[in-house]
Amino acid sequence: MKFSVEKVVGGGRLGSILPAGRHENAVIETPMCTLFTKVGSAPHLGYDMLKRVSNIPDIATMSLGGLAPHHENIREFGKGLGEFTALKSNIIFTTLHDASFAITSGKNDRNGVALWGKGGKFKMDPSLYVKVQEAFRPDWFQALSDGDTDKDTGKKRLIKAVNNSLDFLDNTVQLLQKSEVLKNSSLIGAIQGGFDVEERQRSAKETSARPVHGFLIEGFEKGHSGLDLFSLESFSSLLAKTVSCLPENKPRIMETAWSPLQVLRAFKLGIDVFSSVYPYLLTQKGQALITDYTIPPKSASAELEREQSGDCLPPNSGLFIDLTNKSNFEDFRPVLPGCDCYCCSNFTRSYIHHLLNTSELLAYVLLMIHNFHQYFKFFSCLRKSAREGTLDDLQASLELQSS
Amino acid sequence: KHALSLNILAQCSTSKARACLMSLPHAQVDTPVFMPVGTQGTLKGLVPDQLRELDCKIMLGNTYHLGHRPGPELLEQAGGLHKFMSWDRALLTDSGGFQMVSLLELAHITEEGVKFKSPHNGTEMLLTPEKSIEIQNSIGADIIMQLDDVVHSSIEGERLEEAMYRTIRWLDRCIKAHQRPTEQCLFPIVQGGLNSDLRTRCAEELIKRDVGGYAIGGLSGGESKSDFWRMVTLSTDLLPDEKPRYLMGVGFAVDLVVCVALGCDMFDCVFPTRTARFGCALVKTGQLNLKNASFATDFRPIDADCPWPCCKNYTRAYLHVLANTEPAACNILTVHNVAYQLQLMRTMRKSIMEDKFPDFVQQFFNDMFPSGEFPDWAVEALASVNISLR
Ligand SMILES: [Zn+2]
Ligand SMILES: [Zn+2]
Repeated sequence: MKFSVEKVVGGGRLGSILPAGRHENAVIETPMCTLFTKVGSAPHLGYDMLKRVSNIPDIATMSLGGLAPHHENIREFGKGLGEFTALKSNIIFTTLHDASFAITSGKNDRNGVALWGKGGKFKMDPSLYVKVQEAFRPDWFQALSDGDTDKDTGKKRLIKAVNNSLDFLDNTVQLLQKSEVLKNSSLIGAIQGGFDVEERQRSAKETSARPVHGFLIEGFEKGHSGLDLFSLESFSSLLAKTVSCLPENKPRIMETAWSPLQVLRAFKLGIDVFSSVYPYLLTQKGQALITDYTIPPKSASAELEREQSGDCLPPNSGLFIDLTNKSNFEDFRPVLPGCDCYCCSNFTRSYIHHLLNTSELLAYVLLMIHNFHQYFKFFSCLRKSAREGTLDDLQASLELQSS
Repeated sequence: KHALSLNILAQCSTSKARACLMSLPHAQVDTPVFMPVGTQGTLKGLVPDQLRELDCKIMLGNTYHLGHRPGPELLEQAGGLHKFMSWDRALLTDSGGFQMVSLLELAHITEEGVKFKSPHNGTEMLLTPEKSIEIQNSIGADIIMQLDDVVHSSIEGERLEEAMYRTIRWLDRCIKAHQRPTEQCLFPIVQGGLNSDLRTRCAEELIKRDVGGYAIGGLSGGESKSDFWRMVTLSTDLLPDEKPRYLMGVGFAVDLVVCVALGCDMFDCVFPTRTARFGCALVKTGQLNLKNASFATDFRPIDADCPWPCCKNYTRAYLHVLANTEPAACNILTVHNVAYQLQLMRTMRKSIMEDKFPDFVQQFFNDMFPSGEFPDWAVEALASVNISLR
């Protein structure tokens, strides 16, 4: 994999990734997000439903927790995880943890890392880890790491997390030299250090000194904590100081569940690749992304007009709406008027409210399609805005909508 | 004029099987037909487009559920269930009575209707034949069902006789209450339990009424298969040829094949979609429980002959992993199982059109029971219509 920065705008990088191996003709523009998956499948969406989503990211993230226990069967399959999960046209990026839930803490040690799936804990050391990856044949794979830290973790534990991760990495790099299968796969180093600048920078520098193709920055929370990292005073400067120790020519990845506004902030701090776990989490709550990415936001001006005309339709304020809310009962508008996704082209808020109210699976299928569509669309708007120099306007617009 | 017309295209020269074209306001339906059940105005995670791609022409909605949520007022406001759920093909709704009696412990039946305590707020409510039709008129399905007096198939004697006669009285009330006869076709239901005499009297009464088609009810409730097929064949013998016959609640593959041979045209059942939720895929040899460890290294598709192209992307081994954890598996298996049911009906229909239905039946049973140990009841039932399994 090769990454290059074309232009730096407001701290953020407009870049492109040239994947190696079987995807060598693709060019992936950053900032971008990956396709979030559960056990190797887009959440709620089988192959034929996923086809109805436009602009599906080229890279699919697959966390090992739910898949690693099946590694022997997948090895026997022999064609790798992409083919096994029916996502063979995607670049497969295996990560350790499912970004949608909190991990059970305290199960890592210097010998290995605990992964979590529906079947419970799966403990992994570097040699098992390489064996699993050889069965999965990912295009990118996150190095084994100890990311079990957060804002409350003490210095001693943070030092250990950094050291453990570096040891795992060294072990892995050594084992990989003997691996024919993984020689075209890109190892992604994991940066640790919790909320300690010193450890963060040590982790960043030490990891950069090893043969990795990119960086996954983790250890700010133990899996998905639901906390807005930007609400913590030290987070932004800490992230900037971490990133400053990383080389320019490699992509920086974060798996945090971030709204468009949070993504934009992280982009400006130098993050290139994001997860699409955020739209999944909204979907699970029966919520739909309605953030307006136009500058100035159309919905805001429309709302102003509405106020003036005295129209008393429920306002679309905020970044998302909750379709479990009774106010949708007889609302025959699409989830987001003007959205050209499959859900909005065919169904109403009233219908989706009914589906949620009756716990029907289709509610989640439709919301997942809409939320993915809107989230994926955000990244092309973000790139466009950065390219055209309207990043601050986009940020102002998102801030206005979320206030 | 009824909202339904039937054109018989072919009649099996051996058995009572037939292939027809049933014209409804929203679709031209090829019969014999299997109608998937979309209880709450959705078919278990599938979008209408997927059903169209499977060439599904008609599906079911449940009046009891839809009447409760979102309720007839909202459905009327939405322009009917078709518009509400974005389904432009045909729909059929049941009367709500069966669900009530089977789901609610407190339901009891009087001459007026089905009295029940609302499971949601505990208030006493009454579903009368008039009310059932009123709700079904709001839902707007192409075919609607009369409210019938449902009794368990093990009930005999006076109560059974009462239920049968009440069903006829309620039919007359339903016909009278029906506001949209040119847009929605009302089906009466042949009752009478496992009593040939009662069933005969019921059918004779129903055919005196001017209706567009008939349902055969009160079966598939746990009675013995030998009683079941005898009641089915008795009912199809009594009902007029020129109207469709709908056998309610039947959907196992073997039952479908036998009952098509006995002259039934329409079927519905929650089984194919429900079983998908438990990780089961229907195939011509029966069903695969994909949660079973034996599929962990089975890298074949669910069924190499499956007409649904998307199935080819998935191995049994991956579905084994997915079925144990993720809702996406349910979606994939539901589509497959509906595809299986529809394909089975299409194959049967084709064989009837070519007058090769007995050959189809033989092949079907050979595939399903490779040991040659066919169920006795099916052998008997098929023999009664001159199809002898070897
Ligand atoms: Zn949409
Ligand atoms: Zn299939």
